[in-house]
This record gives sequence, structure tokens and C-alpha cells, in this order.
Amino acid sequence: MKWQRKDILAIEDMSVEEIRHILHTAKVMKEILMRPIKKLPTLKGKSVVNLFYEASTRTRTSFEMAAKVLGADTTSIAVAQSSVSKGESLYDTAKTIQAMRADVVILRHPSSGSAKFLADILDPAVINAGDGQHAHPTQALLDIFTMQEHLGELEGKNVVIVGDVLHSRVARSNAWCLQKMGVNVTLAGPPTLVPAEMEGLGVNMTHDLDSALPGADIVMALRLQLERQKSGLFPSLREYSHLYGLTTERLKKTGKQSIVLHPGPMNRGVEISDDVANGVDALIERQVTNGVAIRMALIYLLIGGSGNVVA
Amino acid sequence: MWWLKDVMVIDPSQNISAPRDVLIKDKMVLEISASLTEEDVLVKAQGESVETVNGKGKYLFPGLIDVHTHLREPGQEDKEDILSGSRAAVRGGFTTILAMANTQPPIDNRALVEFVRRQGERAGYAHVLPIGTVTKGMQGSELVEMADMKAGGAAAFSDDGKNIQNAEMMRLALEYAKLTGFPIISHCEDKDLAGDGQMRRGVASGRMGLRGIPASAESVIVARDLILAEETGGKLHLAHISTADSVEMIRKAKARGVNVTAEVNPHHLIFTDEEIGITDTVLKVNPPLGSEEDREALIEGLRDGTIDMIATDHAPHTQAEKARPFAEAPFGIASLETALSAVWNYLVLPGRLSLDRVIEAWSWAPAQRFGLTGGTLKPGAIADIVLFDPDFSEVIDSTNLVSKARNTPFLGKNMAGFPVMVWVEGKLVQRDRVVK
Repeated sequence: MKWQRKDILAIEDMSVEEIRHILHTAKVMKEILMRPIKKLPTLKGKSVVNLFYEASTRTRTSFEMAAKVLGADTTSIAVAQSSVSKGESLYDTAKTIQAMRADVVILRHPSSGSAKFLADILDPAVINAGDGQHAHPTQALLDIFTMQEHLGELEGKNVVIVGDVLHSRVARSNAWCLQKMGVNVTLAGPPTLVPAEMEGLGVNMTHDLDSALPGADIVMALRLQLERQKSGLFPSLREYSHLYGLTTERLKKTGKQSIVLHPGPMNRGVEISDDVANGVDALIERQVTNGVAIRMALIYLLIGGSGNVVA
Repeated sequence: MWWLKDVMVIDPSQNISAPRDVLIKDKMVLEISASLTEEDVLVKAQGESVETVNGKGKYLFPGLIDVHTHLREPGQEDKEDILSGSRAAVRGGFTTILAMANTQPPIDNRALVEFVRRQGERAGYAHVLPIGTVTKGMQGSELVEMADMKAGGAAAFSDDGKNIQNAEMMRLALEYAKLTGFPIISHCEDKDLAGDGQMRRGVASGRMGLRGIPASAESVIVARDLILAEETGGKLHLAHISTADSVEMIRKAKARGVNVTAEVNPHHLIFTDEEIGITDTVLKVNPPLGSEEDREALIEGLRDGTIDMIATDHAPHTQAEKARPFAEAPFGIASLETALSAVWNYLVLPGRLSLDRVIEAWSWAPAQRFGLTGGTLKPGAIADIVLFDPDFSEVIDSTNLVSKARNTPFLGKNMAGFPVMVWVEGKLVQRDRVVK
């Protein structure tokens, strides 16, 4: 297909064809990434700017590696969160970066919608590396890439996503992405974190993880923000872990050799037990590798030239 | 003297909804007749020159009274000031506006009340009446000097923008305000339920990952304030009602005889949360836009009189403030210049509300509740009058708005139906949407 999109903002408005095209491109990128000499001249002279308003190690590094393998120059700007009210506005910062002739701006920002806000005002491509609780499209794409790599065609497979769905951009993006690929999605968690308003995502919802597990091909645990306990959203880590933590025992309920994903960083012993995290069915490190491949694919598709055919 | 010929007069205070000839003289409505001859008019002019307006196809009604505007002066003149706000008012058909007290500093003493009033007089467009705060500094802990502020020209009391969280403080305010005869205007919002929400909690907020404000954040305080008004016998006015539950509770309270009135903002009658896109900060407003069910309940409430009046909640902000990610942009819609046209297009033309009801709710009802002059075209009444042309069309754009603010969802839209002549105390202050 001919790539038309200027920005990568959310999975919600992407077509299945686009998603497949990204996954296909990422497959080629992964081969390049696995070479002993992993460097291409493809994006030589292009500049990729990481604009991160939230602390992030893995996503920022992943984008940086992806750009570097493709030969682009990268710059990372970490903006302290406190500057939102007193510092330069996102609008002005973005205009400044544009004036420095950036080709791609990768944004992570605590406000939902900030990536679209940026894309609407900037000429360079924008990739959403996580905007508030709204979307994290590259995470969803790397997750589905990992699932596909392991399970082949995903149509008709069953995925259970468990945890703090309400505050999770990973859950939202995955729900859209998986549905588009014909996967059956169930969101599980306590009623305070999987509330009724999430039904707009159009997937199954349950508060009883154990009843959702039978038949699940993939179980994805979300990171629990520990400070949510203070806001009263759940009573204790102990009870949370008891009801929703992934343990070897609990995973037996799927009745199959299910794979386990986690977007990281993990709270071991809370949403995922040590033995599950370290077990053979957990593909958490592979997710990280695939993350670089997906991001290479996206940067390449956005600025890699008119034909966008992998050399 | 003005002779407005053959115009469709809408005056709910006199149950007039018919073609009439109207004479304006010496700042007052002189006469409303089925028709007048040139000789009649010359006699009544008593030698004064007569300006004649052919009103065929147009409507004439009392100048609108808006009981909820934010004029931002003193303190936030980059958003709006009393001059620009009162010019915007007359451009939109409002001849009296009540200025909310949440300025910087808040209007919590007589000196500030007199300042706002004086600035309104200096501007010389719409009548500007200050609303005082209920508590000092809007801190919710000590009442203001209500009697003194009334003497200085305040028209009501409200901590709008903030809710009085302490129920005992609200009870005391309802009691003490009896000294003035003014209502306490309540901005109903439970702080904890609202949290740091950005829009109404619902499927749309869930989908976009914008933090939600549940409908209960408003409704539980409406319930509390109705109970307190009933218990104290105090006078309560509920600002910007936005939920179906609130409407139902007000309906029942009125049936029990509680001294309560309520207002609704045009945007809650027109838009729902489903229309908010993730970067549409122009629709970010507090209370937030509700569901379709809420919207229907509000329209029904306005039709049956449960909701007494329409008010804009004109909330001007700078473009830089609104040009931010959704969560960082301030709440509010600037609406003085477009509200009447919006109601005309979205509610009157489709037959949801009669023009008579709109004018009653936007002039006569507020005049009665807040004890204001205006709101009527009875002979002898002050000549605050609007001539409305349903065919006059305009593209709403930043070059023709006279408010400092541009945060209107109608920006760029071509709309028809506008006030084309506005008189304040018999003086023409706006013609063809150009403010004098």
C-alpha cells in the first residue's frame, strides 16, 4: 500500500490495512536490527526529536535506537513536568523545534490529546509516544507484533488485559488494535479501575479475572500505579494482587499454553509474580526488542521517502 | 423619537406576540399599538424628529438580561474587561448583564461593587450589575457584608466558579441574604466528585482517556441546596444546571414551594459530550457538556418552567490559554455575541422552543427574580429593546467579534438570525451588528 499518513497518533483511526503494513515493515526492520552491524544509511541527514514531558526510559531509548539504526540524528529533550504552568507552552516549544527543522517529533506528554494538538500545528511528522491516558499506539503495535510472531494469525484469538484499565493508554490502544485484527478482547480489573464508561471501547469487561481466563491465548498485565491506592481506587496491594495478580497457579486456568505480556516497568509481586515474569511464557523482553523494530518501521514509513519500499 | 413600524412584537410580560407599531421616546417605551398613522406619530413626537424603522419580517422584544457573565475586570483584563464585555453584550442583544464576582480580587466588598458598577457606567453600553461573592475572598468561611454591598449596588451573591463546600456556610448564607432580598446563586459542584475531571464522565471520556466529572458532582449539591433552601426559607438561584437529575429535583422542589429558580446555558441545550473531540478545548466548559438524555431533560425543563431562565455563562479566555492540550486549557465558552443566534438556530427554528419562551426566559424571568428594570415593553418601561432580523447572516470570525475572547464553538460558522438594532435606555447602541 502507499503510505499516506503524516502522523501516528492513535490506533482508533487507523485502518486494518495500515496496521498490517506497519507490521509487515516491522518484520523487515527486525531482521535489520538482528544483524551484527545494525546501521543503515536510509535516514542519513534526517533529524528525529524526542520530546518527553514524562519520565520514560524504555520508550525514549527505544525510539532513539530505532532512529539511529536507520541513520537519523536524534535529539532528546526531557522537559520537567512542573514546567507546564510556568514554563513555555507546548505550542511554543513545538514551534521552536519545528524551526530547528526537525523531521519527526516524538511526543510523550501527560495530557490526553497532546499528540493530536501537536500534529495539528506542526509540519513535521508527529509520533505519539503516550499522551495522558488516551493512547500509546507504538506499544499496541509492538504488542500485536509480538503476539503475531508467536501465535501466527490472530483472528479469533482471545486476549485478557488485566489491571488499571481506566488510567491506561496501553489498554485503550490495545483494545482498538486487537479488535481491528479480529481478536476477542476482555478487560479485567476491579470496578473502580474498569468502570462502566469503558464500554465505549466495544470490548468485554469483567471484574472477575478467574472467570475470564479459560481459553485465553494471551494475558496482558498492566502496570499498576501504586499511588492509586491513596486515591481510594483499591484498598491494598495485597488484595489487588490476590484478585488480579498473575501467578503460575492462576494462569493454569486458561487451559492452554498462554503467553504473557507486560508493557513494563513491572511491579513484581503485585500485578505479576516473579515466576511468571521470569517464565518461558512471558515475552516481556521480546516486546522490548520488537518495540525497536516497530518504531523503526514507523519512523521509516513517515520520513523514509516517497516510495517507502524497504531496500 | 423612534417609530418602529409593523414589527412582530414578542413581549411575554404582556402576553403580546403580534405585529405592532412601537414608539420610543425620552428613554422609554411610549406606546405599543396595532398600527399608527403618520399624523398620530407627529402629534406624539411633540416636535421631536422621528426616525422610522420598517420592522416587517423582524421581531422586537425587550433587551435580554443575562444573569451570568464573566467580565474578568478587575484582574484578568487580558481575557475581557467591562468595556469589551458590555460591547459584546449589546452586539448580542443583551441590555443588562450581571457580572460574576470571581475576578481578581473577587468582588467581596462594597468598594469593589462600586468599582464594577462605575466601570459599567463609564463604558455606557449594557447595564452592568455586579454580583458580589457570598464569602470573603471566595474562601467559603466568612460571609461578606451583604447589606453594605447591596447599598453599593450589588444585584445578587455568588461564589460562582467555586462551590461553597461547607453545607453550614451555605445554610448561613441563605439565612443572612434574607436581609437583602437577593438570591444566593449556587454553582453546584462537589469538589471531590469533580476531582480533576476535564469533561463529563461517560463513554466519550472513557474512550479518549480524559478524566471524567460524574453528573453526580452537580446533582448532589443541587439536592443539598434545595434542602437547605427549603429548611431556611431562603432564596436560591441555581446557576448553569446541566443534568437530568438536577432538573427532576428542581421540579419536585418547586412543587413543594421551595423558593428556587434555575438557569441553563445555551451550550448545554445544544451540545453533548459526544461532540467533544480530544483537542476541542473550545467545548471544554464547566459544568461539562452532558449526555443527550441530559440535553433533552434541560429543554423539557425550560419548556415547562422548571428551569426559569437562560443565561450565557459568558466565560472569555485568551487564545493562548485555549491553545493547549485539553487538560491544561481553562473551562469556559465565550458566548455573549452568539448565544441568541445559536438558540434561534438550534432550538427555535427546529421547533424545540418557542421564541416567546426564549424571550420570557432571557428577559422577563430574570428581571422578576433579580428585581431588575427591563424585561418588558410596557408603556413607561425603560427602552431596553432589541430588533431581531431572522434573515441577517454573518460569518462569526475574529475580525468582527468585539469581545476580547475568541473561544466560541461557532467561530468560522455562517449563522443567520441576529439582533440588528439594540437600544439601551432609548439610545441606539448597535446597528447591523456594528456597536456604536
